[in-house]
Amino acid sequence: MKRFTAYVFLLALLLTGCGGPADPDTAQESIQVLAMDTAMLITTYGERSPAAAYACEDVIRGLEAKLSRTLADSEVSRLNAAGGEPMEIGWDAYSLLERAAAYSSSTGGAFDITVAPVVSAWGFTEDSFRVPSQAELDRLLPLVDSSQVSVTPSLDSNGDGPKAMVTLGPGQAIDLGGLAKGYAADNILEVLQEYDVPRANISLGGNVLAYGDRPDGTPWRVGIQDPARVGEQNAFAGVLALTDSFAVTSGGYQRYFEQDGKTYHHIIDPATGYPADSGLTSVTVVAGLGEGDGSGFPGTMCDAYSTALFIMGEERALAFWRDETMWGEEGCPFDLVLVTEDGRVVVTEGLADRFTLDEGSGYSLETVSRNGQ
Amino acid sequence: MKPFPKLRPTAWDGLVVLCVAALAIVLALFQWRTGPSQGLTAVVSVDGTEVDRFSPEALREGPRTYTGGGYTLEVALSIDYEHPASSALPPSGQTGLCVAASDCPTQDCVHTGTITRSGQSIVCLPARIIVRLEGGEPDVEGVDAVLG
Repeated sequence: MKRFTAYVFLLALLLTGCGGPADPDTAQESIQVLAMDTAMLITTYGERSPAAAYACEDVIRGLEAKLSRTLADSEVSRLNAAGGEPMEIGWDAYSLLERAAAYSSSTGGAFDITVAPVVSAWGFTEDSFRVPSQAELDRLLPLVDSSQVSVTPSLDSNGDGPKAMVTLGPGQAIDLGGLAKGYAADNILEVLQEYDVPRANISLGGNVLAYGDRPDGTPWRVGIQDPARVGEQNAFAGVLALTDSFAVTSGGYQRYFEQDGKTYHHIIDPATGYPADSGLTSVTVVAGLGEGDGSGFPGTMCDAYSTALFIMGEERALAFWRDETMWGEEGCPFDLVLVTEDGRVVVTEGLADRFTLDEGSGYSLETVSRNGQ
Repeated sequence: MKPFPKLRPTAWDGLVVLCVAALAIVLALFQWRTGPSQGLTAVVSVDGTEVDRFSPEALREGPRTYTGGGYTLEVALSIDYEHPASSALPPSGQTGLCVAASDCPTQDCVHTGTITRSGQSIVCLPARIIVRLEGGEPDVEGVDAVLG
């Protein structure tokens, strides 16, 4: 009877223990953060997942405090208010200014952080939307010129790390919003590695860092919002299967306003001062974590390129993708998913076996290769 | 010292043990069949602080309003994004909710439409309000993140 009783208790213990502590590899922490003018979701796994998730939040908050254009005390705000006088900035802002200059050069000016005064004229900075007059745009467009931004690295760091002296041209202002979330993703990658996080799913607005794989061993499933069905959360142009990748999407549907029956979105073409009208409705740029030339900023690159290639349009974007000599020193291998106004989804060959078209979207799927087919 | 009398298990003891074991088996089977959680829960936070937690079905009694940053949002049960103020369930039978009205300048929260699955959220940046669905059945065919 004693043996029988022991067996029964053991059985009960095993059965009731099913809801016990989770496998350390699948334990997760998920936190939502409102920062950088967007909603972010940080999901980390592993034994140190809570500490890692909050360390990621700290990184985001720290970068926002330095790089935001709407926080009065940030380095960027103080630089914009400096009236063309030299101002000292820290390593993060310096690093981004250097990359912004490189991306502006490689994209032929399609990416330009000095477009800030024009973006403000449209009211996208302060959410007070309006259509500026052509005369106003003509007055502002000469300020859109990255070559007028002077950056001089300084070795006099006062023990606080490297710094730089920056001078903007008269009347100029910069907005690092087209880079900052990607840069945050790059920095978060270092946090995940530092905390031995086995897998994580980091969503920073339109930026996703798919780190490792899902707990079931399959790739993370990352949906690309269908630009034609923005009111439906489950409406995708397609789904990407990603592991160890950065992915960033830019689209005109993300932020817009309507006036006199016409829709104006927030991605301003630096060449015209108007919302880009390139025939694309969204551009997704995907790059691996380990790719690149050692500069270590593929997330930043994806962020900048998604904006620039949206402005450039399908033909120029694909030409840019094919010709790596155009990428410059800061570029690294990447792939694209382009959604066009005429109902096509164009996928570059590196994503062909990782992209599944949403049959309900009504789009046709095209895969393009580097040799132009 | 007087020794304790020797205790011998009786048939009643065995019956109690069997009842406990049977109860454990029933609970374990229930856990396996239903998963770790049942049903969706809507969690509302304002400026990072959770202010409400409820079953979306509770919105059948009427929409709920939340205020943050000087703006007010009305969260309602919805049938689809084109008719967000409807009090019916979505056609699929899933419980969905939406921001039916907001006085925020961007209206992004209203444009978000209906959320129906765990992990989805509606965000109003001007009001710093997040409405997020949690719990429910795991959706292996769903997406882990959304670009856009």
